[in-house]
Amino acid sequence: MSSDYEFSDDDGDYYDDEEMLDGTQEDDMDMDAFGEDFKVVPKGKHKAYEVEYDSLSQAAVEKLMKQDVDHICGIFGVDVSTANLLLRYIKWNKERLIEKYMDNPTTMLVAAGVIVPEASSQPAPAPIRTHSSTSSGFHIPKSLKPKVEEPFVCPICFDDDTSIQTLALDCEHTFCFGCWTAYVNSKIRDEGEHSIRCMAEGCALVAPDPFIRSILIPEPGAPKTWDRFQELLVRQFVACNNDLKFCPYPSCTNTVSCPSASSKASLATVVPTVSCGALREHMFCFGCPIESDHRPVVCGVARMWLKKCRDDSETANWIKSNTKECTNCQSTIEKNGGCNHMTCKKCKHEFCWVCMGPWSEHGTAWYSCNRFDEKTGVDARDAQSKSRASLERYLHYYNRWANHEQSAKLSLDLYAKTEKKMEDMQITSALTWIEVQFMKKAVEEVDKCRMTLKWTYAMAYYLAKGNQKDLFEDNQRDLEKAVEDLSELLESPIEAENIPTLRQQVTNKTVYVQKRNEIVLEDTANGFVEGRWKWNITVEGFDDPESD
Amino acid sequence: MDARLRRVNKEIADCKNDKTSNIRIELIDESPFHLKGSFPGPDGTPYEGGHFEVDIVIPESYPFQPVKMKFITKVYHPNISSASGAICLDILKDAWSPVLTLKSTLISLQSLLCSPEPNDPQDAEVAKHYSTSKSSFEDTAIYWTQIYAGGPGPKEKKGKGSSRSDVRDEVAIAGLEKAHVDQFEALGFQRSKVIDVLRRLNYRGANVAQITDDRVVEELLK
Repeated sequence: MSSDYEFSDDDGDYYDDEEMLDGTQEDDMDMDAFGEDFKVVPKGKHKAYEVEYDSLSQAAVEKLMKQDVDHICGIFGVDVSTANLLLRYIKWNKERLIEKYMDNPTTMLVAAGVIVPEASSQPAPAPIRTHSSTSSGFHIPKSLKPKVEEPFVCPICFDDDTSIQTLALDCEHTFCFGCWTAYVNSKIRDEGEHSIRCMAEGCALVAPDPFIRSILIPEPGAPKTWDRFQELLVRQFVACNNDLKFCPYPSCTNTVSCPSASSKASLATVVPTVSCGALREHMFCFGCPIESDHRPVVCGVARMWLKKCRDDSETANWIKSNTKECTNCQSTIEKNGGCNHMTCKKCKHEFCWVCMGPWSEHGTAWYSCNRFDEKTGVDARDAQSKSRASLERYLHYYNRWANHEQSAKLSLDLYAKTEKKMEDMQITSALTWIEVQFMKKAVEEVDKCRMTLKWTYAMAYYLAKGNQKDLFEDNQRDLEKAVEDLSELLESPIEAENIPTLRQQVTNKTVYVQKRNEIVLEDTANGFVEGRWKWNITVEGFDDPESD
Repeated sequence: MDARLRRVNKEIADCKNDKTSNIRIELIDESPFHLKGSFPGPDGTPYEGGHFEVDIVIPESYPFQPVKMKFITKVYHPNISSASGAICLDILKDAWSPVLTLKSTLISLQSLLCSPEPNDPQDAEVAKHYSTSKSSFEDTAIYWTQIYAGGPGPKEKKGKGSSRSDVRDEVAIAGLEKAHVDQFEALGFQRSKVIDVLRRLNYRGANVAQITDDRVVEELLK
């Protein structure tokens, strides 16, 4: 039967060739994976904790804009610059534009500043027909041609030189070329404005792109201003589109498209960490501006946690170290001087600051407390610790969170130190630069895992008690242990004879840590998708914990 | 010559030549970019008879960016800050057009005095006064015009009946709260002096919380 198949097909040879080609390609890939010690999951497989997104250059966004513009041109039969003005006016909401334009094209054209209202002195020639007749698609305003009017005085600079060049939009409000240039430059450069209206008071006509271009091109700094104008247009388009976000890094002009995280509701199930692709560190969260990578925890929880930390942590720390609660009424008391005989201002309960027991039992041993084991004193301290529990709980999570944050901040130092070590290693052993890369790789991995760990504490703080939380904390603990082990290895002194063992250990541990990190991220992400996580307070986008 | 300087010089000259509009523009110091404009209060308004002065600063990118104007003369008007003289007017912000001139802008200010826009207030206290009791607001505006802008005052305008219950009116038209005046009068100061000091300190609205009682007493004792 198999031979039947092979020979019945005339294209058999060709087919075989193709398969061979495929085979070699696969081999290549395997070789690559083998060469890289650290690859755990083959590339291309979509992981649960990653979102699908595209990184777009400015040119690519301009292409998207052009698609919309062409679409509108096709439907309305208007030229490119009219379509542009209409779309910019309606904030690139094509459906709404089509609906409104079909309703009343003139109103839309007037509102978008394409034509002057009928009522004005100038009889507006039906602009749509004029535009569509231009086959090139670019309508050059007739007034673009320099006009020579005899007693012309520019109403802005009062220049009455007969040789000055003048310009006007379709509204025929004429000004000199110099004023137009200064105006357009000031609007684009100083105000960052992309919609440039006629300079006449109350005139709502907007200068179309070819007009602006014709003004800017003879200028010395023109390419810059013209580029800035293009950038402003792209920015407006991106701002109007929920699927798109501009890269927040300074002077980066890339855009990220992430449709799976465009709605607010979707942010309850995905953590859209994206990268614009320009540079490795151009990573940011598509859903919120708080931190570039707060995986595995969703934006809502991360935001709540940061807010809590800003509001509470310092106060909580101070309360913890400087106050105690009255054993009778639980008021928080600060002892700011005097002896250990405390009298609660609120309930007048008298107690000993040292043992927290009632003062009456101190008998004649005034001002000295050596009665640690007395029953009442122990009870009082128990009560005290109970009232402290929630504070302690918060501080437990906060301190670990802050610790990882601190470590991450120190990672730059660690990088430098590791680099130094790598150099030493090359000197003391026969290893090449390539072969000592394992150190750098390990440091990067530690850094990455600390970020994950940091946010797992924020998540754990809000997770409701139960099996799910236990599982989560097990994963967290395993990762934490692995990371600390690896960190320790990295810090260990280097001696020539133990470099091979160190290399093996570090490499092993790095792979292990990477796997543990994947497990935490993957499991948490899946949990969000499956709706497994239950919170101990109300979180935006989730069911109320009370309702379960 | 610098286009901005040429334009400003021309505007000042135009204004000098124009005798009909009653708008004046003068230099404050040597610089032609820091000016003082003035115009009479429009007839048929509480500002009638007053002479209003405006501080004008011409920015670097004039006329492509709007001029900066604020009242030097204190004005009781919903769109003008009673404390700083700042003006809330669209043409001084995004509705500015390079075609507008100092003169046309000052004329716009003049017409702003005719047509207050309490829904877009600069001074929330004044705007509240305007919307709750227009006649009381007008009394205060006339009073302020008289005191700060050299206006004719209420008697000349109304002709009759304004002498009745003068003391109570005086508190209201000064834009003050009766309770505040009573409070300081109770300390043994003369009522007219209390009104004068509180008015001078602009003891109204949010300012009340910022001006301590000691400060008021200090002023009263001067």
